[in-house]
Amino acid sequence: MPLDTDPHTDDADLLARYAKGDGGAARVLTVRLTPYAYGQAVRLLGDRAEAEDVAQEAMLRLWRIAPDWRAGEARVTTWLYRVVANLCTDRLRKRGRASLPLDEVTEPQDPAPSAEARLQGQARMAALRAALADLPERQRIAVMMRHFEGASNPEIATALGISTEAVESLTARGKRALAAALKGQASALGYEEG
Amino acid sequence: MTQPPKQPDEAEWIDGLLDELAGTPLPDTPDDLMARVLGDGQALMPPPGGPRAPVPWWRQVVEGIGGWTAVGGLVAAAATGFVVGLGGLDDMGLSTPWVLGEEAYYDSLGTLDAFGWDMEEG
Repeated sequence: MPLDTDPHTDDADLLARYAKGDGGAARVLTVRLTPYAYGQAVRLLGDRAEAEDVAQEAMLRLWRIAPDWRAGEARVTTWLYRVVANLCTDRLRKRGRASLPLDEVTEPQDPAPSAEARLQGQARMAALRAALADLPERQRIAVMMRHFEGASNPEIATALGISTEAVESLTARGKRALAAALKGQASALGYEEG
Repeated sequence: MTQPPKQPDEAEWIDGLLDELAGTPLPDTPDDLMARVLGDGQALMPPPGGPRAPVPWWRQVVEGIGGWTAVGGLVAAAATGFVVGLGGLDDMGLSTPWVLGEEAYYDSLGTLDAFGWDMEEG
């Protein structure tokens, strides 16, 4: 598939064009947003096949909402981010905490890590994903946007519709909740207790 | 034998885990996924000019029947059928004064030739 042929046009404008039957806009949005949705889903789920399903479902929802999209209310990528995060959360909760994903995408940084280190790395990420899934939605989105997207406080505030001051508190609470959820699994995650 | 690292303080530990997850390399988006997404987009794409305004139910009924001309014919046929049906009541021995009109009904009684005038004239 070709690269984004219309890089200077805003996502919302493209969506409006799509809603008026512009096939070119559908192509540009697909090229631009599918990798974004897929990448986020892979990171959260650690399973490529499931991530494909999530990305397709999220984009399907985008196509469906296009005629009713209200320009200026939210950024398309923020909306998509939330949809993907929520779809992933549903899947992670269904999996349950006990089961680990079979198809971990976490590739070892070291070209030849020990099997134990690799398994611990997978266990760490799986435990973190499960703990993220259990966070309240706003805390989860805030933590993910901060750490995965490098979003600033004002950007997170806009996405969540809260004040910039509240973002700091939200992410702090989210991280405390993550720590509480992961406490007790330290040895399994490759850390020595204490 | 290497010792596992000590668990760092809470915030540092969680930040490290999140950074580790953020740093996982992401695979390229599969071409077949892109094709499926584009296929969905094309299938759901509104017609050129945007989606049509919703048509009221009564207009859908009128168009389903065949338009206003057909509705006119239907109304005429229904009215004719109604009148014919009332005529059938007479054959069954039922009078239909409320349809034929009060004047005709009273005229048919024969006792009052000119209702009201007879009473007035004595």
